[in-house]
Amino acid sequence: MLRAGDFFAIVEFMTDRSYLGEFEMMILLAVIHLGDEAYGVPISRELERHRGRDVAIGSVYAALERLEAKGLVASSLGDPTPERGGKAKRYFRVTEAGLRQVHETRRVLSKLWRGLPELKGERP
Amino acid sequence: MRPAHPPAAASWMLEHLIPGVSNEALAGDLHEEFRAGRSRRWYWRQVLGAISIRCARELLAHQTVLLFAVLWSMLAPAWLLAVAGLEARMHLSERLAGMDWPWSIVLDLGSLLATNLIFLWAGILLYLLPDLWIAGALRFRALSSGIRASLPAVIVVWVALIVLPKHFLAVSAPEIRAATGVAGASLVRTPTPREAVRIEDQNIWAAYDRQLAAEHDEIRSRTTVAPEPVPHEALLDLRMVTQAARIPFFLVILCTLWSVAQRQEGRSRSKV
Repeated sequence: MLRAGDFFAIVEFMTDRSYLGEFEMMILLAVIHLGDEAYGVPISRELERHRGRDVAIGSVYAALERLEAKGLVASSLGDPTPERGGKAKRYFRVTEAGLRQVHETRRVLSKLWRGLPELKGERP
Repeated sequence: MRPAHPPAAASWMLEHLIPGVSNEALAGDLHEEFRAGRSRRWYWRQVLGAISIRCARELLAHQTVLLFAVLWSMLAPAWLLAVAGLEARMHLSERLAGMDWPWSIVLDLGSLLATNLIFLWAGILLYLLPDLWIAGALRFRALSSGIRASLPAVIVVWVALIVLPKHFLAVSAPEIRAATGVAGASLVRTPTPREAVRIEDQNIWAAYDRQLAAEHDEIRSRTTVAPEPVPHEALLDLRMVTQAARIPFFLVILCTLWSVAQRQEGRSRSKV
């Protein structure tokens, strides 16, 4: 039942990294995009829309918890609703430290991209 | 027609098999997506993925517990052989075999379970002692809480804690076990009709007693002549039967120390 994507998600969580991984960065950007409506379902849909493949919601939560432990996002519980089987939503928002981290990563990546020669097969 | 509720078994697994922090939000998200049109297959995949990810994270968060459980359970077969050898030298098992049924079996199985519990509790205490000593909390109450924490796991696997070690001993040390416990009890048998006819003595039962005594002597001589298995050789024994004997020990140590670690984390979190 498990797909290769789930396996790689597990492997990614097995490394305790101090810097932002690709998946974590995508989640941070999705949370910023969604604003006040950032909880598990829309975050996963946003990632699926941009990546073009299925996302394990469990892996999204694992990454969000790790970001929360680093102080890059904060969460709060909403009210339980019947369409969710009486379960509450957990809303996420990016903290000041999270925003700083996103800007810093963007700055470094932009610099690296600028200095890159034209890649083979790339069309302007 | 599409079912209104997600698979009950998957929901139960999600609720009970994910250790650590609350997974209410995750369960709610999966429920919402299912109601929005996702398939049962999708739901199952998400649940299994979430359980795998959480278990991997928890195992890595408790690496020392995992490592200790592996190492201590590696010692279990050597402990079983050492105790069985000691029992054989003291003729303890023969004394048990001489008892009336059901005491012979009850005491034999009970003594095996007791020796296994001693091994498990020694491991748990060995793991907890340095932490408690450093924290200045080396008290009887703290130690006994570790023992108490092992009881649920022991209750769940108590049959495996008897059957698998017994099978291992029967395979690895048949000379010792031949004259012991349940195996020894089988020596006390009634003569078959053919045997009874063949015995041409006036006193059939006296002749039968002599025959049994001779059988006992033969087995005892075999036991003393055959080389006893050396316990330390079992340390690196990776045969299937030996690995199977290690499994219940591994599970009890892992579950116990895991629950103790989680309790300690919860306590330190509530202090903060």
